[in-house]
Amino acid sequence: MKHREPPKLPCKIETEQDKLSNLPAHVIDQILSQLPIKDAVRTSILSRKWRYKWATIPHLVFDNLCVSVSSQDQILVRNKLVNVVDHVLILHNGPIFKFKLSHQDLLGVTDIDRWILHISRSSIKEFVLEIWKGQRYKVPSSLFCCRELIHLELFNCLLKPPTTFKGFRNLKSLDLQHITLAQNVFENLISTCPMLERLTIMNFDGFSHLNIDAPNLQFFDIGGVFDDVSFENTFNLALVSIGLYVNVKKDQTLALGSSSKLLRFFIHLPHIRRLEIQSYFLKYLAIGNVPSRLPRPCADLNYVSIRINFNDSKESLAVLCLLRSCPNLQELEMLARPEETCTGTLTDFWIGDHWSSMFPQLRVVKIAGISGIRSELDFINFLLSNSPVLERVTVKPASVDGGWDLMKELLRFRRASTRAEIIYSDP
Amino acid sequence: MSELNMAVIKPEMMKSYIWIETADGSLQQVEQEVAMFCPLICHEVIQKGMGSSKNHAISLPQRVNPAMLSLMLDYCRFHQVPGHSNKERKSFDEKFIRMDTKRLCELTSAADSLQLKPLVDLTSRALARIIEGKTPEEIREIFHLPDDLTEEEKLEPLKNITDDPRIRLLNRLYAKKRKELKERERIKNVEAEEERVDDRSVDDLLSFINGEDSKGIKPSKNKKKNRRKKDQQKNTSPSEVIEINEQSNGLKVSDLGETSEKQDVTDEMFASKPEFDDGDVDDEIDPALKEKIDREVEDFARRLNSDWPERMQEILSFGQDMKVQHHSSNGNGTIKKYSDNQIRSRNNYYPSNWPYGWNNFDRMLMQSV
Repeated sequence: MKHREPPKLPCKIETEQDKLSNLPAHVIDQILSQLPIKDAVRTSILSRKWRYKWATIPHLVFDNLCVSVSSQDQILVRNKLVNVVDHVLILHNGPIFKFKLSHQDLLGVTDIDRWILHISRSSIKEFVLEIWKGQRYKVPSSLFCCRELIHLELFNCLLKPPTTFKGFRNLKSLDLQHITLAQNVFENLISTCPMLERLTIMNFDGFSHLNIDAPNLQFFDIGGVFDDVSFENTFNLALVSIGLYVNVKKDQTLALGSSSKLLRFFIHLPHIRRLEIQSYFLKYLAIGNVPSRLPRPCADLNYVSIRINFNDSKESLAVLCLLRSCPNLQELEMLARPEETCTGTLTDFWIGDHWSSMFPQLRVVKIAGISGIRSELDFINFLLSNSPVLERVTVKPASVDGGWDLMKELLRFRRASTRAEIIYSDP
Repeated sequence: MSELNMAVIKPEMMKSYIWIETADGSLQQVEQEVAMFCPLICHEVIQKGMGSSKNHAISLPQRVNPAMLSLMLDYCRFHQVPGHSNKERKSFDEKFIRMDTKRLCELTSAADSLQLKPLVDLTSRALARIIEGKTPEEIREIFHLPDDLTEEEKLEPLKNITDDPRIRLLNRLYAKKRKELKERERIKNVEAEEERVDDRSVDDLLSFINGEDSKGIKPSKNKKKNRRKKDQQKNTSPSEVIEINEQSNGLKVSDLGETSEKQDVTDEMFASKPEFDDGDVDDEIDPALKEKIDREVEDFARRLNSDWPERMQEILSFGQDMKVQHHSSNGNGTIKKYSDNQIRSRNNYYPSNWPYGWNNFDRMLMQSV
């Protein structure tokens, strides 16, 4: 081997020792993709071979790290960012699979339009755009021509696809937050993305009826203001988290004899595994005639988290119906809503032993935000006496007042499970 | 499948082995289940039935030397056991990649040639962590990269790599000047105008300067400039006037209208002022001249802002059968077109006590005729 000779030509030794540059191109792409864009581009001055190695990286991420100007002048930083992105896009050579743009000073819309147009010519698979400030950014129509998109994430945008838009046929994951779109646009979007598996929508406006028709959907997370939600063909939906941020209208809650929203909700969710009912969504579910139990039990449901007002009888009915219909429930979380007006206290709801062994699999319970009122204590008692394999109950009151009394009550409750621990957690 | 690969079976171990040959010719026996974790070996065994005996050993690609092979087999041996938790696997990985960078690179190469993707991911992440945050010199040192770029290649601006302090100082000066100008404008401005309107005003200005003949070329070029500056400043017309003014100051362009190359120089001059990035811009203009221009700019702007309506009235009132055009009092105002005879008539009335700045403005007006 050659390295016995004295090094006459230093570069010869170096090429033998330089194992990095001769790695295959896709491996180098992989290495450079894991660096911040600034470091990746700086490798261009390492050596002759490295001059354009960065130009083929398939992932481009422009975030707060990529412009390192410690200036308070926003315009300066923004100009620098625009320059950086322009330069990188022009010098880049090859397909771009992932593009993320998320800088706090980003505002110039024509620049973003131009970049999206460039990206859309490049079979992009993952696109993330976050506009931190300013009005909703109207996404240009060139984004809707990206047929290869698998993941789309938009923050603070306005979507208005062209009439020729036929959907993203490969889209698996959609994350829209602080967005505006019209009702028909929303429905069209969901129904024309048949591969959709994950859907997250937060803080939206422009539509209020959530009609989800997505046969492959597995994960559904929504939080905002809406009038109703219904599912269709969602037999794969396993994880649902819904938060209704405003209280339902009075006339809806008082409508008697109407069909139960709870019933309608669960009809198309036979395989649901985890359910989170947040904010005021339980009030929505409690509308109508709440049945005593669901016609078909949710056999796969093993985690439920509910935000409830323990003083409300309709909500308690809804919870009771739900708890009776999930025989395999293992983990339960009840969060008390810091309530506005207490419309009377609910007493004796949870007392009684005509539903014994209701929780055959329940192991972990967490109760938080309570203030020690009678209905809350009854509920805890109810849980403790009907859960034979219970292991841990964590109770966390909303405030320190009355904490001592709460603990005194908790001590007295009988437990069906010999292994049950009650943990009092400080607020 | 297992019948095909029954090699030496030790009854007490009940494992089957396959034969593997590395590029340097050495043969070894490897537990089958461990080796099958590598897709390439798996493929060879299943599809081609290799590895059952010494003569039919699986020959590995050249990038895999025996040392790397044993490392990879250690990795496979751990990970192919299904019982380990994620935490255990992670801590194994962390310990596993603690080796010098040379071996890390070789391992990456070997893992890639056997298509062992989890190991490639692990090693490439480790390499990325090594590269991140280091200066080029440090990286060259660690990986023994030759420093074979010429000096000028290094200076080619890719991403603000050069940081000429003079240019930075100048840009800061200009930023300050620009801010001051903006402040003065804001005092005068009553209403904010749309950016569209600003475009038009420059077009108007240019076409009136150049007369009616040159239509398409300059306005579009100036539009380009404006778009760059759009984000920076809302006020336009006095500063555009200023810039055109300084251009004629600095370059003594006799005829603004004709050649597009002069426009390019103009572009460049503009480019050097509003753009705030360092090193990206060809800065041909002498800094001293820039200072001089700046002072003129300030003078001109001051006078322009304070005296605009009266001055224009003066200009206009000297002409014969002139239609008095209305100019908005704020600095942002649009400059309406003048008809040819207005320009001509103004030439005859040129008061000598006008300030320096107005000289040039008028000269520009005259040039287009």
